[in-house]
Amino acid sequence: MRYTRPADVDGVTAALADGDAVVVGGGTMVVPEMTHGRVRPSAVVDLAKAGLAGIARDGDGWVIGAMTTYTELARSNVPLLATAARGITGGPQIRNRGTVGGSASYANPSSDVPAVLVALGARMRLARRGGAREVPAAEFFAGAFRTAREPDEVLTAITVPDTAAAPGYVKFKLVEGSWPIVTAAALAGPTIRVVLGGAAAAPVVVELERASWRARLRSEVDRLLTEPWDDVLAPGHYRARIAPVIAARAVAGALEEA
Amino acid sequence: MAALPARVGIGSSPRKRDGAALLTGRALFLDDHRPEGLLHAVVVRSEVAHGRIRAIDTAAAAAAPGVALVLTGAEAAKHAGPVPYFIDPAARGGNRTDIRCLQVDKVVHVGQPVAAVVAASRHEAQAAADLVRITYDVLPHVLDARAAMAQDAPRLYEDWPGNVVAHNRYGSGDPDAALAAADVVVEGELRIARTTTAPIEPRGYLASWQGDRLTVHASCQNPHQLRWMLSVSLGVDESRIRIVTAKVGGSFGLKMQGHPEETLVALLSLLADAPVKWVEDRRETLMAGAREQVHRFRVGATSDGRITGLVNEIVADIGALTAQAGWAMPNMSATTQPSGYAVQDVRVELDIVCTNKPPCNAARGFGKDAAHFVMERAVDLVARELGMDPAEVRRRNFVREFPYRTATGLNIDSGDFDGLLDKTLDAVDYAGIRRGQAESRERGRYLGVGLGFELTPESSDSPGTFVSGFDTTTVRMSVTGMVTVLTGVTSPGGGNDTGIAQIVATELGVPIEWVELVQGDTDRCPNGFGNFSGRSMVVGGGSATLAARDVRAKLLAVAARLFETSEVDIRDGIASGGGRELPVPEVARALLTRAFAIGDIEPVLESTRAYKPGNINHVPDELGRIQPYPTYSSSLHAAVVEVDAETGKVTLADYVMTHDCGTMINPALVEGQARGAVTMGLGSALSEQLVFAADGSLASNRFKSYLLPRAGDIPLLRMIHQVTPSPFAMHGNKGAGEAGVGGAQAAVANAVEDALAPFGVTVRGVPLSPPNVLALIDEARP
Repeated sequence: MRYTRPADVDGVTAALADGDAVVVGGGTMVVPEMTHGRVRPSAVVDLAKAGLAGIARDGDGWVIGAMTTYTELARSNVPLLATAARGITGGPQIRNRGTVGGSASYANPSSDVPAVLVALGARMRLARRGGAREVPAAEFFAGAFRTAREPDEVLTAITVPDTAAAPGYVKFKLVEGSWPIVTAAALAGPTIRVVLGGAAAAPVVVELERASWRARLRSEVDRLLTEPWDDVLAPGHYRARIAPVIAARAVAGALEEA
Repeated sequence: MAALPARVGIGSSPRKRDGAALLTGRALFLDDHRPEGLLHAVVVRSEVAHGRIRAIDTAAAAAAPGVALVLTGAEAAKHAGPVPYFIDPAARGGNRTDIRCLQVDKVVHVGQPVAAVVAASRHEAQAAADLVRITYDVLPHVLDARAAMAQDAPRLYEDWPGNVVAHNRYGSGDPDAALAAADVVVEGELRIARTTTAPIEPRGYLASWQGDRLTVHASCQNPHQLRWMLSVSLGVDESRIRIVTAKVGGSFGLKMQGHPEETLVALLSLLADAPVKWVEDRRETLMAGAREQVHRFRVGATSDGRITGLVNEIVADIGALTAQAGWAMPNMSATTQPSGYAVQDVRVELDIVCTNKPPCNAARGFGKDAAHFVMERAVDLVARELGMDPAEVRRRNFVREFPYRTATGLNIDSGDFDGLLDKTLDAVDYAGIRRGQAESRERGRYLGVGLGFELTPESSDSPGTFVSGFDTTTVRMSVTGMVTVLTGVTSPGGGNDTGIAQIVATELGVPIEWVELVQGDTDRCPNGFGNFSGRSMVVGGGSATLAARDVRAKLLAVAARLFETSEVDIRDGIASGGGRELPVPEVARALLTRAFAIGDIEPVLESTRAYKPGNINHVPDELGRIQPYPTYSSSLHAAVVEVDAETGKVTLADYVMTHDCGTMINPALVEGQARGAVTMGLGSALSEQLVFAADGSLASNRFKSYLLPRAGDIPLLRMIHQVTPSPFAMHGNKGAGEAGVGGAQAAVANAVEDALAPFGVTVRGVPLSPPNVLALIDEARP
């Protein structure tokens, strides 16, 4: 196994050029997978020294480095993302190691970050040797553990536009130690957008009118959530059943703030 | 008994002796032992639930880097015989099979050991293990106990008439007549899902041979029984085997011996001619079941809430048969009914059934938890049927005169169950909760309170087995006055070493710092039986008391000779008499260095004593019943829950346990044990479940899919103590450490049903996970 820890993005993209490497951010997902032999990469590219951490203001939004940890996010005032980061369990070890870019790239349906980024209208900055591109979060999350990132690309940063909409975030777990079962990230502006995480393989976007959201929410979720995520923790029909409930709580939370 | 400063005497809570070492990471566990030349083993396990082994290709594994040895079942069988049973089902009229350290012809569950690899590192062993190719003729498998009882079900053990290990019937009186005459009869079902013990330290063994002598360091509970077991399976005399239990990071019954890997690791070390260590992976630990039962019961009662009869049919799924004690747990689920309620017309039918899942191993509660759970459900259903308060129905049925012979033949030594109920209702503010309930329901909040009563038989003695109701301790004072206590009971981390030291220090009249404990070493400690069944403080403490009293008597005799008076005393390490004082070390030195001058006192400051508590009776009565337990702890639990009716999520708002284990030697340690047991019960009641895929593989094989409660899921577990000393144990203490599992399950189940009473929900099983609770609500909706 080849292990590299490049000092900058160029080094990272060079190391990824062969397309056979696994990228390690905080390592909270990949390292246990490797320990248990479920992932056996021929190369590992460690982003620890690539200078990708940190949150910066950029015009009318934020640029969040892919290696920004949950701890840093929790201390920030990025809407929704800071709230979600504060709800990450697993103790300081996880919050100090786990990164927003790692979580996004891993694209576990049962995680906080994907739906939050979609709700925020974030854009994902991808770099490859000799090039870069941006992908809207809604397109980035292609399915369970699948993203638009190509094997020779690395997620370097996430841009989040400012929003005047009021945020609301609700995460439902079975117990503290479980993955999220359903999350709902809501932004209530002139219209309401609520994005469901955990409910399906990829985030589900529900758009509602302020005047009619309560009346329309359940039918909209039912219409959009055709293939609910199903795993050992909760069957799909349960996720489908509670998704409107969690979404409604997130919207209600947002509107109370508004 | 000499008076001591209150901080170390019986009933006080000095700190755990090893607390500082544990907290600072300096305690040595099994995996910390790394002798020179150590090799590491990995077990190759079956990937099919049921199949005949056709071929095993080990060539690639044997050629892999670092590999010293690859062993198959056929080769192992040339060197080792079957693993002897802890409790042989054949001796109880049941079916048995030879348990091998590696399967030879057939596998009966996913994960069963088939081969083993020994290599220079664990990673090399794992890499090589992945190269072992096993070909099976796959056979149909059965994962459900009821299905396994069908005539045409796949047969795990072909020479058996079916998949039932044993069918037993327990009870007395005429329950059919009692039910026929009852004012009301309620029926119920209780499905207890498969859970596990999950100690923080998994099992592990390190074997090494020096010539023809074998030393095994083991994370186990019962070193002497393990020595006997290895002696039988390996054909090596016990005198050539030494077992040392390192510090143990939790056992909960899982680490009672009888596991195939014990014999396997010793054999691997022999064949590799090197020390070999094997430590379980967490996925392996999670295979071990702790409980899985279905109860179908009918209970009859008078219109004023007196329970008159009980019929219960239990189907217990134990997975594959094991030489470990776990298969026998369901017997206690039967015999512990009807708990501490005065019901004499009882029939409990029990089928212990094998399925193609990993074995159920012994687990805290040892089946008694299921008896409490089902009785507490039955009581609540009676209360509901009669429109009575559940607390009141309990009160109408409690046993009040002791000793009391139960319908299954147990002899309850003592107790005050009304006292438990009063204290619990008061502490949880039962009346206040009931008053507030209606109001919160109007606001769409579903609050409930549930009770769970437990009668926990402890310190079991099973005749003809190594489930022993006595134990042995040596107390030895050196010429320096320092005291070494060598005892047959071991500590899984709960702290009985501290408790025993308290007793010895108190009995001798010396500072506790002078007392050293030696446990878990078969070459040093007297014959004993380790820890299980809440026995350690009853029989370890009892035998230590007797031995310490002998040594004290000798010290007093010497002091009397030195002081030339018969009025002598020892306290705080000082002997006194006739107006003179002498430190105890000087008294000890006088006896051991001036034995001839002192005269006719035998110069031995050492005593080895066994303690057999009272109340055990192995002579079968007219119904064939025996009485294997000296003491019966009791407890009453109250859980307050709030249920989110939109998601089914249950949140614990409050929890009270009133516990009576008689005299407490160290209340802080009792509370630690009780909180652990309650938490185990709460986990199995709300979130824990071992889930198997249709192919028999374990789907919940990590802590993200097997959901143990975390601190944030559990409220402060409030502990209240009641002390009803046992007349049959040395200090009046009863077993502590097991009580709490069934009481917690029952209290939560009853609380959830109470919270959801407006929907008319009937709880029929655990875990009451959000999906399951929501399904209950849906099912109850019109």
